[in-house]
Amino acid sequence: MLSNKEDDIFLSRWINEELSEEELSEFKSHPEYEYFTKIKQGTDSLVIREYDIENALSRIKSTRVNNTSKKRSIIKLVPYFAAAASIAIIIGLFLYQMDTSFATNYGKQQIVVLPDGSEMILNAKSEASFNKNEWKEHRTVSLNGEAYFKVKKGSKFTVKTKNGTITVLGTQFNVQSQNKFFEVTCYEGKVRVNNDTIEEVLTKGKGYRNIEKRAPERWSFESQKPSWLTKTSSFKSTPIEYVFKELEEQYQIKIITNNIDLKTIYTGSFPNTNKKVALTTVFSTLGMTYKLSDDSKTVVVE
Amino acid sequence: MSDSKNSICNEQTFDHFFKSHATLLRNHMYYKFGDLEQAEDIVQDTFIKLWNNCAKVPLEKAKSYIFTIATNLGISNTRHQKVKFKYRDYIKHRNTDINNESPEFIALENEYMEILKKAIADLPERQREVFLLSRIDKKTYREIAEMSNVSIKAIEKLMHKALVTLRKKIGNI
Repeated sequence: MLSNKEDDIFLSRWINEELSEEELSEFKSHPEYEYFTKIKQGTDSLVIREYDIENALSRIKSTRVNNTSKKRSIIKLVPYFAAAASIAIIIGLFLYQMDTSFATNYGKQQIVVLPDGSEMILNAKSEASFNKNEWKEHRTVSLNGEAYFKVKKGSKFTVKTKNGTITVLGTQFNVQSQNKFFEVTCYEGKVRVNNDTIEEVLTKGKGYRNIEKRAPERWSFESQKPSWLTKTSSFKSTPIEYVFKELEEQYQIKIITNNIDLKTIYTGSFPNTNKKVALTTVFSTLGMTYKLSDDSKTVVVE
Repeated sequence: MSDSKNSICNEQTFDHFFKSHATLLRNHMYYKFGDLEQAEDIVQDTFIKLWNNCAKVPLEKAKSYIFTIATNLGISNTRHQKVKFKYRDYIKHRNTDINNESPEFIALENEYMEILKKAIADLPERQREVFLLSRIDKKTYREIAEMSNVSIKAIEKLMHKALVTLRKKIGNI
């Protein structure tokens, strides 16, 4: 039995309930029995973190879509090469230098898998581009808008925006750069933020923000992912003009503000899935009333 | 590219194949290489590869194909550093009927579970793999043997060894 060195699969038969009745009752009277039973019961109560299989599949599909469209464009070019070699070379050079770009529309998000397998998730009304051919030499993405990055470990990874440059080695972070609004939050690893005036290193759970001429802000947070990935826009002490801009981008509306101080500070969040709830949430917190036009494209705030 | 129902290139076949094998593949890669996040990345890369080669991989070979690709990806990922098996946030335990128990009992129970999880994390790789595939994913010894191309007897021995190792590590609690 247990002490019998010959039986080197005894416990494996026991845990699989393959022991004969005699073997089992003999084992039950053995002092070791209770300890092994505890191990079995303990292990059988363990669960692995759940796997979001639908989400995993849709990620794979977003990569597949990129691949197939790429193949098609090459096939289409073939007749042109045959027709006029000289023109084809020019087109070829042009294509070689051309950047791959992505843009999202109102209220949309898009997952983009970059050539090295890193991921970029674009929030609504955002644009990003990168050069696939030069990707091996430098991993650089140009961004206007908001995106969340999950960078695979490797050489330097750079995000260029009008308001500054972010460089990392392999990490997860969020960048929002719109007009004069510039915010970077780091969710994993280490991120360096650079522009003419600042050089800032962010570690996990740290954020940096710079709005127009206001003094730069730094803060700590605990969330694991930006809230917009789960279709919620959140703001922390943000001038309302940027909150309104986000509302406009998520819902394709125009917000008309008469005599309202756009520098008013707002802290709160709104859903990206229900226009009415979103508008009510924002404006009631601000103590403002609003009117939605008949075609529900324009919001007048009073 | 053939679009027949039995080809992985067929969208529905692919989806179905993914849904029936992805979780096991992900858990298996986790037990093997010790990091759940990395295991999920491996699954993603593996299935992208499968899709790109769908015309070359017949459906009946697809299962062993994904396990081979995933294992190779895992090996090349961990070649430079041996990852310690991570279980915090990844493995949890269900508290069964604790409502009627005293706080002392629950504290002891939680303490025991922490020790057990640590002991499982410290198992040699092969023992841990077999132990968890059998107990968590409810795979039979035969299925585990087929997954790693060894005899059922070899799996049974590893399972026995895993239990002996756990028993030694946990001590008399």
